[in-house]
Amino acid sequence: MTECGPGLPEADALYVFAVCREPDPAVIADLRGIATGAPLRLLRFGELAAIVQTVRAADFTDEAWQARMSDRGELERYARAHHHVVSAAAASCPTVPLPLATLYHGEERASQALFAETERFRAALKRTTGHSEWGVKVYAGEPPTADPEPGALPPRVPDTGGGRLRPAPGAGLAYLERKRGVQARRERRHEDALRSAETVDAAFQKVAAAGRRLRLQPQESAGKGRLQVLNATYLVGEHRSAELAELARALRASTGTEIEISGPWVPYSFVGEV
Amino acid sequence: MEREVVPWDNAEPLSGPIGVPLVDLLDRVLATGVVISGDLVIAIADVPLVRLSLHALLSSVNERVPAPWADGGPL
Repeated sequence: MTECGPGLPEADALYVFAVCREPDPAVIADLRGIATGAPLRLLRFGELAAIVQTVRAADFTDEAWQARMSDRGELERYARAHHHVVSAAAASCPTVPLPLATLYHGEERASQALFAETERFRAALKRTTGHSEWGVKVYAGEPPTADPEPGALPPRVPDTGGGRLRPAPGAGLAYLERKRGVQARRERRHEDALRSAETVDAAFQKVAAAGRRLRLQPQESAGKGRLQVLNATYLVGEHRSAELAELARALRASTGTEIEISGPWVPYSFVGEV
Repeated sequence: MEREVVPWDNAEPLSGPIGVPLVDLLDRVLATGVVISGDLVIAIADVPLVRLSLHALLSSVNERVPAPWADGGPL
């Protein structure tokens, strides 16, 4: 295969999904991968092998990804296609996932680049073999039904003069006090939730070999009215993963927060520099 | 012929192989893993691309997307 520049629209590129130790070619044989056309195959380098697929370079340029990432449906399909291959590989052999969209101009370039990183792959395999990644998300507990009548007007009494209503004495002050109380309670709720997040993180860290905080997810993906206070992920030995559900149950009870666990994941978050 | 259904078979977004929420998946498949330099798509894991394009979609995956609090939350 000759090397092709990015300027040639008909050129092929090589998409790399993951790097494995002694993968079984049968496992990937039936997977479709990230594009229709070429089958998935193994690219061996040293003692390791990458799962790769030949794709059209023109479909995988920066511009193409820009467009793709602006389209939720497209992005989802690519992310899931990538994840599907990574998960299938990891189910059968020690696997280091690569991020979405690692591409080379050709087989030779890919072999060179991958071979040069052999040490990092080896270290990642050593760290993650026998472990899985588990996501833990914590949400603040139910908001207290603080303001009984949101935006309610102060009570009014009949005005002796013109028969119109007018605020009772002291009602304005009471109203402001009430508003202030709502604000204070809201702040307290945030503080409590953040403290709970720390408690939950510390508890999971004890069970885990490693842990990482991910970015908090925005409210629109967390769900309406739910306030996410922790989005963390942990590398947990397989012999300890059974403890996680019980730990979450105990922490839910002791902190009053909502705790969601996801996993086991292929250890995406723990194969890079931790 | 029996074959496992893959996401690619369908033009619609699917629940995926093991029903993973997209937002959690993107937390992991973007800019994590062993990041090695590729020949194409230099900016995929880079802040500008992810921020500009994804912010509108999911806004979960990079440093500059504001947390639900003004102070950036617990991170």
